[in-house]
Amino acid sequence: MPEAPLVSPLVLFFASILTSNILLSNFLGTCSFIAISKDWKSSFGLGLAVTFVIGLCAGICWAVLYLVVIPLGIEYLSFVIFIIVIAAVVQVLEMVIDRFSPSLYMSLGIFLPLITVNCAVLGAVLFMQIRKYDFIQSIAFGFGSGAGWWLAIMLLAAIRKRIENNPVPAGLKGTGITLITIGFMAMAFIGFSGMIAVQ
Amino acid sequence: MKKDSIAYVVLFTFVACAAFIAPLALANEFTKPRVEANRLFATHSAVLRAFGIAYADPADAEAKYASLVRPEGSGTDAPPYRATIEGIPCVAVRRTGSGLWGSITMIVAADERGERLRGVEILDQVETPGLGGRIDEPWFKEQFRGELLGPDGLGLDQSGGSGKGDPDKENARVDGVTGASRTSDFVRIIVNGAIAEIKAAGGAK
Amino acid sequence: MKGKNAAIMKEGLWTNNPIFVQVLGICSTLAVTNNVRNTLIMALGVTFATAFGSLTLSAIKNLIPRKVRMIVQVLVLSFYVILVDIVLRAYAPAISKQLGPYVGLIITNCILMGRAEAYAAANKPWPSFVDGVANGLGYGAVLTAIAVAREFLGFGSVLGLRLVGDWFTPWTIMIMAPSAFFLVALALWGSKSLGARAEAKKKAAKAAAGAPAPAAKS
Repeated sequence: MPEAPLVSPLVLFFASILTSNILLSNFLGTCSFIAISKDWKSSFGLGLAVTFVIGLCAGICWAVLYLVVIPLGIEYLSFVIFIIVIAAVVQVLEMVIDRFSPSLYMSLGIFLPLITVNCAVLGAVLFMQIRKYDFIQSIAFGFGSGAGWWLAIMLLAAIRKRIENNPVPAGLKGTGITLITIGFMAMAFIGFSGMIAVQ
Repeated sequence: MKKDSIAYVVLFTFVACAAFIAPLALANEFTKPRVEANRLFATHSAVLRAFGIAYADPADAEAKYASLVRPEGSGTDAPPYRATIEGIPCVAVRRTGSGLWGSITMIVAADERGERLRGVEILDQVETPGLGGRIDEPWFKEQFRGELLGPDGLGLDQSGGSGKGDPDKENARVDGVTGASRTSDFVRIIVNGAIAEIKAAGGAK
Repeated sequence: MKGKNAAIMKEGLWTNNPIFVQVLGICSTLAVTNNVRNTLIMALGVTFATAFGSLTLSAIKNLIPRKVRMIVQVLVLSFYVILVDIVLRAYAPAISKQLGPYVGLIITNCILMGRAEAYAAANKPWPSFVDGVANGLGYGAVLTAIAVAREFLGFGSVLGLRLVGDWFTPWTIMIMAPSAFFLVALALWGSKSLGARAEAKKKAAKAAAGAPAPAAKS
């Protein structure tokens, strides 16, 4: 097992929500972010699902990486193995939710397949691998990144609702103004850096 | 065989996996020595740059590393490293410390009494690109070259400065990276830790 | 044949540009646009993976069972991305290190999947290949333009070459994330306005010639 960096999991959790939001500073998960954020309710559902999946996948991929992939010496295949793990987690989650909570399935189910190709999930897993986090750090980072994504999409959905009825130049309508809004949000989030002391 | 029968699906998946993974395994095996050589070269050249030994190309770097640098540990790239530069015996160590997002690994070189830095080099870092990642830019690293060390080691000025680094080599201070005060401070902590290691290694000889 | 390929090229590069029109795949590559060299490498990687991925998927599309279509697509696309990663690691270690996780993230770049689904699944291998190249290049061109603006304003250099003197104060914001969103939005605005103007001109010309105005292309 590699030497893990000395970053406290709690700090990692909050830092990945605020100071280095996976969407606003790493651009991960922008596609579904723009597509779904039109609607506040869907944003909530997708955000919740993403948080769960990233958290779970970070933990499971950590185990797969250090217990299977590295002992077998097949690190070069890690991308495709991660993708398959993510797809499997999403599939299992879908079945479990369907089985135990049909009402949650109704509100969440349609978003689950979208998550497999959400780059935020694979991104968080790859960051976990490159930064050599240990198990607890990986889970904290995973849930933190998911929660950060969730926070960002909820904020954006609320802002977009306000923008809807405002006069926006024709060429900027839709995606254009949304990107500019995300840019301002990213600027605001930079203000958080330095707030969290990593000890 | 029907296209949607279980047997076909299983067979197809199996064949497809084999067909795509085999070339990857081959490519990986084929490039392994190169990747390993790259890794060694990264360490060797970083040690040379930390010592301030100029080299023309990778072959020259390996030759100079072999003739001028004496690694003390086992293997060709285990720290601490010793070299005599301009008549002064110098020591370089490799030190890993916490960064904002993960570990930062640096090579730090100084004279063996730890009075003046020779230079520093960053071997590995995963800081935010464009912010903390800028600690890997030449202007930042060049500030350390030949810097006098105070009794408390090295200090850091966070007020921004000119953005081109602190040119004064006698004040035992360097400028931080604007907007990345935490990462800059982690670098300072690693460098000061490394100087303590150098003093210990220098005295042990 | 040649004319057809040219039409596919134009489609990917401009009329149906992946960023301007389809708004796809900005996630995994935007992060490296503060450096022109890294952006070029990433754009080439995306083009390579999209083109050969489309070619392969189109060639074997009749063999793929429906049930495992998605997973086979992912496998094929990952194959090319991993190839890019292995080559970079062996022959350009410095760049590979700087790009970090973003090479792997090409897999989840929506353009790859998007072209595989939208074009390669219904077309012959060769046009699929051309379509992949066109989309990759169209995507790369926009990102490179953004990278040139970001690197120039943020560092005063392009491709590491300093273009301005010491008097220039770098715009630190250009190196950071928000500027990428702003620049993509500006580029989008520009392209949409140009598109709208061209459309209006065409309509006016048609109307002047007495022909009925064509239905707006969606």
